[in-house]
Amino acid sequence: MVEQPTIKRVVLDVLKPHQPAIPEFASRIVSCNGAHRVNVSLAEIDQNTESIKVLVEGNDIDLETIRACIEEMGATIHSVDEVEVARKV
Amino acid sequence: MEKYLEKFRFYLRLTGVSAISRRYFVMNTFDGALIALGVIIGAWTSGPVQPRTIIGAGLGVSLAMGISGFSGTYFVERAERLRKLEELEHSLLMDLHHSVHVKAQRTAMIWAALVNALSPSLAAVIAIMPFVFAHYGLISINEAVIISLMLIFSVLFMIGVYLGKISRERVIISGIRIMIVGIITAAIIMLLGNI
Repeated sequence: MVEQPTIKRVVLDVLKPHQPAIPEFASRIVSCNGAHRVNVSLAEIDQNTESIKVLVEGNDIDLETIRACIEEMGATIHSVDEVEVARKV
Repeated sequence: MEKYLEKFRFYLRLTGVSAISRRYFVMNTFDGALIALGVIIGAWTSGPVQPRTIIGAGLGVSLAMGISGFSGTYFVERAERLRKLEELEHSLLMDLHHSVHVKAQRTAMIWAALVNALSPSLAAVIAIMPFVFAHYGLISINEAVIISLMLIFSVLFMIGVYLGKISRERVIISGIRIMIVGIITAAIIMLLGNI
C-alpha cells in the first residue's frame, strides 16, 4: 500500500512583532500540531518588527495549523521558501 | 489554574506591563501613605477628634483614590495601547484582532488599572486600621495616632527597600531615604496644624 505524501520540513519567511521574543515564539510553534523541531534565525530587525526564517521539522506538518499558530502570535507568513515532502513506499 | 497563571504571565511579558505596574505600585503606595498621613495628622492637630471621623475620612479617601486610580489608568493605558496596536498593525500590514496581542493588551490595561487602584487604597486602609481599634475602645486615640504613624513609616520604609532592590542599591539606606520624606511631611503638617 502506498501512503499519502506528508510534509517533513518547511522553511518560512515570517514577519513578526518584537514580542513574543524569538525563544518564546519558537517554543510556541514547536507546541503546534505536527512540529517536532523548530529553528528560528533572525534575518532583519526593524523599529516595530523582525523578519525571521522559521524552519519547522516534523512527521506530518500541517501548514494551515502552523500558519494559525504563527498568526495567533501576531506574525505573518510572507512566503514559503522551502518544502520537503516524503512518502513511504 | 496553573495554565491560566502561565497565560497571564505570558501576557505580562508580551506587553511589558510589569515595569510600568512596578512604577505605578511604588508611586501610588507612596501617594496613599502620604495622603493618609496628611488626613491623620491634620485631623489630630486640629483639635479633639473622634476615631470614627478619621475612619470615615480615611475610607473615603481610600475609595476615591481607588476609583480615580482605576479609571484614570485604564483610560490612559487603553489609549496608549490601542495606538501601539494600530502602529503594529500598520507595520505588519495585518489585522491583529485574532492574535494574542489584543488579549494581552486588554489584560495589561486591567492589570495596570488594578495595581494603580489597589496600591494607594491598601496603604490608606493599613494606616487607618489602628483607629478601628480606638473606635472600639481597645486603645486610646493618641495610641492609635502613634501606631498609625509607625505603620505609615513602615510602609514608606518597605517602599524604599523595594526600590533599593530594583536599583540594586543598599536597601536599608533606600528605605530610610523614603521614610525621611514621610517624617518631613509629618513635621510640616504638624507645624502648620499648630499655627
